[in-house]
Amino acid sequence: MRIFLTGFRFQLRVAWGSPDTLQICVTAPLFTLVFMAIAEHAERPDLAPFAIVSPTLMSLWTLALFIAGELIGDERRSGTLEALIAVPARLSTLVIGRICAVTTLGLLSFAEAWLVAGLVFDRWLAVRHPLPFVLCLVVTALAMAATATIFSPLFILMPSARTVQNTLTYPFYLLSGVLIPVAMLPFWLRPASHLIFLSWSGDLLRDSLAAPAPHDVAARLAAVLALGAVSHLIGMALLHRVLRRVRRLGTLSHS
Amino acid sequence: MSAIEIRALCRDYGVGRAGDKRTQALSDVDLTVELGEVRGLVGPNGAGKTTLCKILSTVLEATSGSAQVLGHDAATDAATVRRHIGIVFGGDRGLYGRLNARQNLRFWAAMYGLHGAPLRLRVDELLERLGLADRAGDRVDTFSRGMKQRLHLARGLVGDPRVLLLDEPTVGMDPVAARDFRSLVGEMRAEGRTVLITTHDMAEAEAVCDLVTMIDRGRVLLTDTPSAIGEVVPRHERVVAGAVPEQTRQALTALPGVVSVEQEPSGRLRVETADSSVTGTVLRLLVEAGVSDLSTQRPNLEDAYLHLIGDRGMAVG
Repeated sequence: MRIFLTGFRFQLRVAWGSPDTLQICVTAPLFTLVFMAIAEHAERPDLAPFAIVSPTLMSLWTLALFIAGELIGDERRSGTLEALIAVPARLSTLVIGRICAVTTLGLLSFAEAWLVAGLVFDRWLAVRHPLPFVLCLVVTALAMAATATIFSPLFILMPSARTVQNTLTYPFYLLSGVLIPVAMLPFWLRPASHLIFLSWSGDLLRDSLAAPAPHDVAARLAAVLALGAVSHLIGMALLHRVLRRVRRLGTLSHS
Repeated sequence: MSAIEIRALCRDYGVGRAGDKRTQALSDVDLTVELGEVRGLVGPNGAGKTTLCKILSTVLEATSGSAQVLGHDAATDAATVRRHIGIVFGGDRGLYGRLNARQNLRFWAAMYGLHGAPLRLRVDELLERLGLADRAGDRVDTFSRGMKQRLHLARGLVGDPRVLLLDEPTVGMDPVAARDFRSLVGEMRAEGRTVLITTHDMAEAEAVCDLVTMIDRGRVLLTDTPSAIGEVVPRHERVVAGAVPEQTRQALTALPGVVSVEQEPSGRLRVETADSSVTGTVLRLLVEAGVSDLSTQRPNLEDAYLHLIGDRGMAVG
């Protein structure tokens, strides 16, 4: 646990003031402005939860993809990965702690989005069901961290995967119901949506902001956690494979 | 039990797209370093020194053979080995530039399981010991290369290791810092730590090492004390003299027992003699010729290095 917390604190220090973190701080309010403007123009105040939840999930995903995903590669390029391998602490625990810090920072984008909706459009959204909402934010951050553990070793095992890094954003936002409800997708595409934890998270977060009490909260939270757990297992297996491979090939310090 | 025990160690690297061409970085290396010993591993670039350190520090797998640290195998019992070693890789990479020196050291101390007051004490003690206390709060990317190297050393010591692996530890250090480093190694020895230093600085190896192992092209050439290694070169003595008249030079060249007469880049004349009686004759000739800029030398570790490995200059491997 100490290694996890050390990684968490370390990443907060490193990320604080870094251009990547600042980018998220800027883009989340910008997306909120655009989505809220569309909702207001269409005279659809019921879409306000979309306008707030979508930038939050997009920020989390972007951070997972571009910061957490580059974590091991950055260590390798800066020459610290060898030293990290040579210490008694488990690298995987450290990596998870650091990725969790990244996703925690991503949660701040919700506060940004909420404030922009209130200050600019005078739509002060009440969180009508705070417990499901907070629980959903927490398990979403955990599932996001778990998913990020796949990206980090994947980009080392398959450098070509980095070339499609950018394409792993908007298609996923559409497929997972972050930008539009899954119900609006073609029928044959919906099963694929349900395999992405963001679809469960987005629905539950929006439902928690609405008046009717959200249904099947425990099951939906469990779905997010289960999909996160599967991602985590895949991520750890990939990480183990990467470390074995670079130790065998002698490419640990290659950039 | 030895601190380090290496047997028939080989390491190949693949070259080419499919790794089809192989280059041998280490070939059947046997090496034993006793507890509390300071061992120098000297050799030119590409000799295999860093590869050996990486295998001992568990970050690289050997192709065959075994490497043990304090009786634990670096390949099969890596977790235990990591608890006992400190590693300093050469160069100025390997630190977190956005963090300050204290934050860097605290992070690495936590990686060795330290926490709370003992962690803070250990970090502050090392910052003081390595002369970094005044800059402890400054970001590492503002440090000079020498300061980064000292911080690397502090990182290597932060886990209180019994075996310390130092890969080119004084690269980038100014002469004063390098001298301080040598006294630090003396302290390590006094504390009973085992130190393996890779270097191609012969003066450094001669100053700090109990034993020196010469390695070249992945093979161990010999292991002995620095002074004994100096004896492996032919037992010539050397006279170096400045402003030697041409007539005297010719006389020296013709003198029986003079092995060679060469001009150094500085313009001084270097005369190698077969034994001390010839050295006396050479000195007398030079003094009679009015030469006052004179010195005599015995072969040192550097001579042995050049004799065994050759003067390959920038050549690698």
